[in-house]
Amino acid sequence: MTNILEVKNLQARIAGNTILNGLDLTVRAGEVHAIMGPNGSGKSTLAQVIAGHADYEVLGGSVTYMGKDLLELEPEERAREGVFLGFQYPVEIPGVNNAYLLKAAVNAKRRHNGQEEIDAFEFLKIARERMALLGMDASFLNRGVNEGFSGGEKKRNEILQMAMLEPTLAILDETDSGLDIDALKAVANGVNALRDPERAIVLVTHYQRLLDYIEPDHVHVLSKGKIIRSGDKTLALELENRGYEWVQEAASA
Amino acid sequence: MNVSALDQELFAAVIHAMPSDELSPVRNQAANQFSSLGFPTTRDEDWKYTNLSAAAEISNAWLRNRMDAAAATPSLPPPEVARPEILNQMDAHWLIIRNGSIDSSSLAELQNSLGPDIEFSKLSEQTDSTHINIDDPMSAMNAALLIDGLRLQVGANVEVSKPLGILQIDDPSQQASQIRIVIDLGENSRLQVIECALSADSGMQFSNAVTEASLARAATLEFVRIQTRSEQHIGVNRLIASLARDATLRHNAFDFGGALTRNDISVNIAGENAAAHLHGLYLASGKQHIDNHTRVEHRVGPAISNEEYRGVLNGRSRGVFNGQAVVFEGADGTDANQANHNLLLSDHAEIDTKPELEIYADDVKCSHGATVGQLDESSLFYLRSRGLDQDTARHLLTQAFAAGILAKLAVEESRNYLVDILDRRLSEVLDAG
Repeated sequence: MTNILEVKNLQARIAGNTILNGLDLTVRAGEVHAIMGPNGSGKSTLAQVIAGHADYEVLGGSVTYMGKDLLELEPEERAREGVFLGFQYPVEIPGVNNAYLLKAAVNAKRRHNGQEEIDAFEFLKIARERMALLGMDASFLNRGVNEGFSGGEKKRNEILQMAMLEPTLAILDETDSGLDIDALKAVANGVNALRDPERAIVLVTHYQRLLDYIEPDHVHVLSKGKIIRSGDKTLALELENRGYEWVQEAASA
Repeated sequence: MNVSALDQELFAAVIHAMPSDELSPVRNQAANQFSSLGFPTTRDEDWKYTNLSAAAEISNAWLRNRMDAAAATPSLPPPEVARPEILNQMDAHWLIIRNGSIDSSSLAELQNSLGPDIEFSKLSEQTDSTHINIDDPMSAMNAALLIDGLRLQVGANVEVSKPLGILQIDDPSQQASQIRIVIDLGENSRLQVIECALSADSGMQFSNAVTEASLARAATLEFVRIQTRSEQHIGVNRLIASLARDATLRHNAFDFGGALTRNDISVNIAGENAAAHLHGLYLASGKQHIDNHTRVEHRVGPAISNEEYRGVLNGRSRGVFNGQAVVFEGADGTDANQANHNLLLSDHAEIDTKPELEIYADDVKCSHGATVGQLDESSLFYLRSRGLDQDTARHLLTQAFAAGILAKLAVEESRNYLVDILDRRLSEVLDAG
């Protein structure tokens, strides 16, 4: 199986605080990984560093994506190469039309891959299909990006973007936070529909709840900027029962 | 000689040489007023940031040319000019004001098409000149050198079916144009105006326009002004509006061009339940200078004024915003809101913004606010994380910022044209730095 993502000894900081302290992670094609851990353990930092947020400074280590040095690429280049970050807090951008952004994103990737731009008719057809799968009303296309969306609507919109962009590597940062059960199921449906032997998905989550609906192949526990334990889906259940302290104590013992 | 002074001898000679018509007494009286006042200088509080000395230079050159042309005999007929493309881009009935004088054939056409709804006349042919307002040096200069001037009257209960387009276009360099438009709206009438100001030449030009609007009870005036002048144009624009009971004014100002532009809007809320909505957008790069001064006088209440101006400034450009709202004693129930938001895209761009509230009544609701900022970094990152390059993301966010004003557009017929030029101008402003 191809390695889609290889993170080695990654160290990163933001605003002078070192958050990642030598993180290692390998994700292969077709796999779904869950990264769990208490607040402040570095889950979101990992996601932001992979997406290329300029506020995060990489101090050492490497991130290789499909054999390329990911850290060398601008955020937009990463996206066009097939990296997608589902934001924990999607930004509201009033005045930028949701459909416009979706189409511009799809076409940026297509141009990058030497493909023709999508025609308006086909775009609408695909967008409507994927929205139906996510239980989103088609009217969301004509609204400002995330403008006035509820928490659940924002997360569905992230998954819609992912479904349109068909990434090779999707990192979903706390996509389950703040969702009611219907929204959680809809989001999980969307993610499961994208499971593919050519694609890898990394779920960053605080709770095991999401994993009832999206079954991971691997579960990792992140603490103080390092992965301290890895296992299969049973590890998530154990964490749910015993809490994070148990792994932290075991790791430091 | 003071740099910002007009050549008095030439000024007097040109006015003397102007044809004798109904405006003659007004010109002479205004000339005396302007001679004693002179151009405003940066020592005047209202003109602190805006220097008109280049306007004085252009005006002197224009006065000289005009005397030379008058001396030359015989005078050549004006050359035939092609119909400006802009007239085909919006669905309106157009009047052309070229080099400060009304184009007679377009006026005749207009009388044909909108004749039943609007009574058109030239101020130079009107015996009653009492409505020519002079309330500052620039409106005095305007009256002193006014060639003709347009008056339009809409009768009571008339809803003008299609927007009136007014194209102000200046051809040669060293042109100094005085433009005056006097609008009278009868009770319960409605008029939409799209005013476009542009230059056919890239040389130095100066225009000084005054628009007076008088809205009778329940009248509605919707006015969109689009300024896309050339890089060496100096423009001074003044709107003086008076609103009777239940009258509504919606005014949009789009300033995209010009070297230096100064806009003054003065609204007198004279009747209960009148409403004034003033929205403006300015884009500037290079060394462009754009100054918006507005003053809304709430003389009675309840009444509403809503004002929002947004600016995008790049390079070494400078914006000035001064918004005054005055609520007179007894104008209870006044609801006055004012905001000025600015995007500064370079370290050298500058905005001087000053909202001013003067309140002498007890029961009022007033708000004002000003913001100055850069593009939101988290929004930029969000768009880039979706594959949009930095320039596209910046363009999109700037466009979104501007869209807040487009959302208030008063005359729908101008939308497509505006969206198109806004998009092009934004690219220029973002690229030029």
